[in-house]
Amino acid sequence: MADEALFLLLHSEMVAGLYRAAEQGEGENGRCTTKLESMGFRVGQGLIERFTKDTARFKDELDIMKFICKDFWTTVFKKQIDNLRTNHQGIYVLQDNKFRLLTQMSSGKQYLEHAPKYLAFTCGLIRGGLSNLGIKSIVTAEVSSMPACKFQVMIQKM
Amino acid sequence: GILLKFREFFGLLNAPRRDGFVSFHTSKYRLHYLETPSGLRLVLNTDLGVGSAREALQHIYSNLFVELVVKNPLCPPRAPVQSLLFRQRLDAFVRSLPYFGPR
Repeated sequence: MADEALFLLLHSEMVAGLYRAAEQGEGENGRCTTKLESMGFRVGQGLIERFTKDTARFKDELDIMKFICKDFWTTVFKKQIDNLRTNHQGIYVLQDNKFRLLTQMSSGKQYLEHAPKYLAFTCGLIRGGLSNLGIKSIVTAEVSSMPACKFQVMIQKM
Repeated sequence: GILLKFREFFGLLNAPRRDGFVSFHTSKYRLHYLETPSGLRLVLNTDLGVGSAREALQHIYSNLFVELVVKNPLCPPRAPVQSLLFRQRLDAFVRSLPYFGPR
């Protein structure tokens, strides 16, 4: 239980710290999001190595996405992705109705404009995980009503 | 009725019992007070019919304040609480107490 609080508080401070540093320097908001995403990317790469060291090879892209939605999400956020949709042409939408990093913030519209900052790291996490599984992608996130959010994964064909 | 509020100053009270809980009453109402090790003070005012609100205050601290305010990165520590979610849950909890009721 303690480790969940640790990650949550550490992540909050990461976001706050980066933005504070940006205010004092001349960096604008866009750079902070990129930094958070890159951090998430590196962490995601490492995490996926650790999580898949004992699993069998994945059959295809969809199998990999399902792994992310079930095992990966459960290990990091203690729950699965609630909904996975795809157009079978390289676009996947992962929906989490109670995203762990947002549940303490609000349920509804309060603090909505701050939500993207708290999603950047996780976008990177997904992108990093996929990258080490051999998939190049672009991951974005959107929130319309907390704590539900959607992560959109666009696979880049090499 | 029941009022719920957090206050910074409380000089009038004598030192609380070892577990941080104190309750005193006047002829009109009873005041329940919980002080956490971190120095946070919770105050609950009820009418005289209520015996001890210790569990309620403890629940409010552990399950509502810590979860929704302390863990909320957008609530600065020691600042007035702006979180609507916290207010909603707190309101719902107080309303669910067995001793809550209209006058």
